[in-house]
Amino acid sequence: MAACKRAVPPLHTCLRCIRQNVNGNASTIGAPSRLFSSSTPSSEQTQFEQNPKFPELDPSLVSNRRDERRLIRTTGVLPIGSRRRRAALQTSSRIPFEQLPYQCFQEARKILQADREEKIKQIEVMRSRIANVEAQDVAVSGGEKAKEARLRSMRNHVEELKILADINDPMVKKRHEDGEGDMNKPIYRYLADKQWRQYRRLVSMQRITQMNVMPDVLPKIDPVAEVTLAFGRRNVQPGDFVDSRVSEVIPRLKVQVFDKGERLVTVVVVDADVPVLDKDSFTYRCHFIASNIPISPTSTSIPLNQLDRPVKGSQEETPKHIALPWLPPYAHKGSPYHRLAVLLLQQGEGKTIDTAKVAQETKRDGFIMRSFVDKHQLKPVGVTMFRTQWDEGTAGVMTRLGLEDEAKIEFKRKRVEPLPYKKKDPKRYR
Amino acid sequence: MRRSTILHSFYSAFRPLSTRTLPANCLRKSFSPITQSLRAPNAAPFSSSSRLLARKGKGGGQKKDNRITQIRYHLTHQKTPRPLRFSRLRALRHWTIHRAWQLFRAKQRTAEQLELERQYNSMREACEALRLMDERGMSGQEGGREVGRLYRIAMEKKGIWDNVPIEYARIQMDYPSREGWNHEWTR
Repeated sequence: MAACKRAVPPLHTCLRCIRQNVNGNASTIGAPSRLFSSSTPSSEQTQFEQNPKFPELDPSLVSNRRDERRLIRTTGVLPIGSRRRRAALQTSSRIPFEQLPYQCFQEARKILQADREEKIKQIEVMRSRIANVEAQDVAVSGGEKAKEARLRSMRNHVEELKILADINDPMVKKRHEDGEGDMNKPIYRYLADKQWRQYRRLVSMQRITQMNVMPDVLPKIDPVAEVTLAFGRRNVQPGDFVDSRVSEVIPRLKVQVFDKGERLVTVVVVDADVPVLDKDSFTYRCHFIASNIPISPTSTSIPLNQLDRPVKGSQEETPKHIALPWLPPYAHKGSPYHRLAVLLLQQGEGKTIDTAKVAQETKRDGFIMRSFVDKHQLKPVGVTMFRTQWDEGTAGVMTRLGLEDEAKIEFKRKRVEPLPYKKKDPKRYR
Repeated sequence: MRRSTILHSFYSAFRPLSTRTLPANCLRKSFSPITQSLRAPNAAPFSSSSRLLARKGKGGGQKKDNRITQIRYHLTHQKTPRPLRFSRLRALRHWTIHRAWQLFRAKQRTAEQLELERQYNSMREACEALRLMDERGMSGQEGGREVGRLYRIAMEKKGIWDNVPIEYARIQMDYPSREGWNHEWTR
């Protein structure tokens, strides 16, 4: 505040009195005449204003250090924006963005609105056409297949038009950038998808392909949903090394899908680098399977630790979601790092997986992802990964798992016996 | 201190208002008494940099590339206009106007395209009608005796280069030459 006050010294005193009227501090609005009087307020005025000594504060307008402190103390709300901005807002007439009186801007808005009306009309026309085609006899529209294809393309066109109708709206853009977009609306889903594909998807795909999760765990993954992994409050970037003590607790998944509707998904975590000593090679191990998790564009969080929480009064014996509970990932001392792939698999329309059966059938060691996917007819929709290696906490983690013997093992590279070297006759080189 | 032609272009871009040519030692403001005293090499009365940082080579340190010096000088000059930065809402307004303009242009283009298409189609239909027209102006049998006389006349390509040299039908160039191959050549 001090800085802005210095910037406008002549206005300073002026601001003080304007503020009383303009901003929300003013429950004093009712009593402008009482500003300088020191007598006790009359009874009806006390009814009108609850506490004249401490008027209500507006978090977007307080620009005074003392008022800010009082606001935080009384309401617990932090002031919005910078102090400089708040000070400026007090004197500005607060016109909403769409009504800002700039001629070119208003003309542009008119054009965009006209275009939007046009698009909406097109959507209506398209919808009535779709209804006509649906009502049409199959023989007229040239067979069942042709009719289906026609309807599909028409529906796609309607979706396209829906996006085109809203994509030029500055308020939509603003709300998307602020992260306040309503994911039930196609335009915000479209914008979010575009943003994801521009950077975050590329990064995760790079990690997946560079560390060969893609051909090792599943032959081909084309993610359409964003999966973010977090252990407690710690977010994990795709491919990051995670401390074994951190990954001891079950993670939290944030899944954002970009197409409408609710669906059931299965989450599988696989370790792709479990050493096999006998064969001198590696195999897989399944760390977690949970099925039948409902996901939609608006419900994005999958707290894996909240699944199958025992609810009071319910008498379910078999867990509904978790087939294999979380096994903390660990790597033996001296062994190369382990890649842990977290896969999001979409179940077929309306199909649920019998978790008890899955739990019975699946073995953790030697778990083959491809056959699991084929068996349950799942479709991989999202993927992320993290890595784990031997660190200070791993021994403790393994002990708690009951693997004290294995915790003592240290892997060492096999010494390659050098070939017998015979000193050659130096005369040969002359 | 010589400036290359590229730097001259920089200079004109950043300082369009001034017509005065730059003095050779533009970095040293000759009117300042402090810089006056600094001009002499190794004559700084006081240095706050530590001993390690103060290099003792020729000319009191590593010499910067002249181009870098020039660019830096012009970029930090007061008369260089500051980079254009918009506030958030200002940028959003700009975006709105830009989108509206793009939309307007796109609509114009499609309208033009449709108009051209319409004209072409009507010309083609006219030709088709001519092709099937007999001597009395009625649509007759195709391949009849007098059918399509006007069409044949309309399609004639005679005399279209009448007042223009025929060479202009092809872009004239130096190569390949008219006598591209020397057939008489022997070893």
